[in-house]
Amino acid sequence: MPGWQIALVMMILYLVIALFVGIMAGRGRDGSSLDEFAVAGGKLGLFVMWFLMGGAVFSAFSFLGAPGWAYSKGAPALYIITYTAFAILPWYIIGPKIGKIGKKHRLYTVAGFLKGRFNSPALAVIVGLIALFASIQYLATQMSGMAIIFEIMTEGRIPFWLGALLSYGIVVVYVATGGLRAAAWSDVFQGLLMILISWIVGLTIVYQLHGGTTDMFATMARETPEFLQIGKEGSSMGTVAYTTTILVSVIGFLMWPHLFSKSYASSPRTIKKTVLAYPIFALFLVPLLLVGFAAKGIVDSGQLQSADQILPYLITTVMNLPGWLYGLVGAGALAAAMSTADAITHSASLEVTDGVVKSIWKNLSDKTTLLIMRVGVFVIGALAYYITVFGGQGLIALLLGAYGSIVQFAPGVYSALFWRRATTHGVISGLVVGTLVNYYFQLVATSTPFEIHAGILGLISNIVIMVTVSLLTKKQSEEDINRYVDVA
Amino acid sequence: MSKAKFNTLYIAVGFIPFLMLVFPFFEIANRATPIIFGLPFSFFWVILWIFITFVALVVLYRFDPDQDEEGDV
Repeated sequence: MPGWQIALVMMILYLVIALFVGIMAGRGRDGSSLDEFAVAGGKLGLFVMWFLMGGAVFSAFSFLGAPGWAYSKGAPALYIITYTAFAILPWYIIGPKIGKIGKKHRLYTVAGFLKGRFNSPALAVIVGLIALFASIQYLATQMSGMAIIFEIMTEGRIPFWLGALLSYGIVVVYVATGGLRAAAWSDVFQGLLMILISWIVGLTIVYQLHGGTTDMFATMARETPEFLQIGKEGSSMGTVAYTTTILVSVIGFLMWPHLFSKSYASSPRTIKKTVLAYPIFALFLVPLLLVGFAAKGIVDSGQLQSADQILPYLITTVMNLPGWLYGLVGAGALAAAMSTADAITHSASLEVTDGVVKSIWKNLSDKTTLLIMRVGVFVIGALAYYITVFGGQGLIALLLGAYGSIVQFAPGVYSALFWRRATTHGVISGLVVGTLVNYYFQLVATSTPFEIHAGILGLISNIVIMVTVSLLTKKQSEEDINRYVDVA
Repeated sequence: MSKAKFNTLYIAVGFIPFLMLVFPFFEIANRATPIIFGLPFSFFWVILWIFITFVALVVLYRFDPDQDEEGDV
């Protein structure tokens, strides 16, 4: 049997198991409960939570983008493990607090959280829309990741549209039926699989091509030391760009609705332990970076359409590897992309329902809300699929901008938790200005001052405006403030 | 230990290693050599600090005044 056939069989087998795990996880639970669908009743345990949070960062980007960065940029790829390890840490302090506030007021989302402190439907609508556009962009990236994997591993026999449809269709089905619990248990299965696979494949590649990492890096350090450094003559990234990219990722990480809302899904103790165990996940990314370094000097970049294809390209074209290894990489990459896509699809539907729909129609019953959330999963899935396969043309800029704007939630969220003097007008104007500044520097301007990341420029203006306007407007009622700030 | 004091300590323990991994402090390790455990020095430095943070936080957790609290409010 040729390699591509083995790979295809293994990937299909993987998809069948993923569907099975997803559907079984949701069974035997109360299918009509809104709390169950949205936050798994608030009762996820440490083991599941760890994989849920980990699976969300272990995305198509880890399998395709991380080796691509190491291959094309070198040392700056270290930003990926740095931010993965540190971005979770604030959760230890804010997670339990958000969780307690959420349980008291039955919250599921970022939009609902901000609406609760600042009593503003307008704010909820803005947050809901940014979250929706950002999620669709994120989903489109994951889906093209899945489709590319299918296409390359089967040597073009499964076309792009079919690969995306197959793998993402399964995600939509198990999320719509089983809600958060289905996503969580699928992530356990997918997480285990991709950790295992990244180590097997990563080390196999490095040893076959270079006989080990020491030899590989010694040669590189002798011939092109600037490739292993940042901000030197000939390096691919400057020091300011590197530092602000890490900062923006660290601050923005927990603002992603699919991660933020996990604060509601578990006890304070589980949240804290998840944070403690989390840095280990960052280390799982190490072999994938090694793959990128291993390809340097072996693959000529002209042979690739983009650096992201380096891992599948190495496996199928450069190296003579057995078909089962093709299949493993395919399944691992699918697992990484799907475990991110499920959480995002789920939370995008929740944010839109909570932020937009419930701000317009205020008195929806739980039953209707749940129905809207389930239908939302399909609608968002279809939108993301359409964008991925047919391209969005004019929409692409909007989506990319929203993706970069998630970090702009941070000043509002931290103020809601800790700053008594923050006002509704302050938070809304900060968010709007920060988002616009980010849009401008990300999409219109060709460069930023001192190479500072556009998101950080947005954050600075966001904070300045938020503080100024807050201090100029009337303080909120003590009752509104105490409801959030005093929760210990 | 009071909760406020614990939080301050927690932030310090998380923040100091983070500073070591971004500029200006990362310049200390912004080198390709020596190669340690098969990794360039900058790569090794990042992993070392992640490991230190991990151990420090696990130790710190034992002093968390709220470590046994459960979710029900």
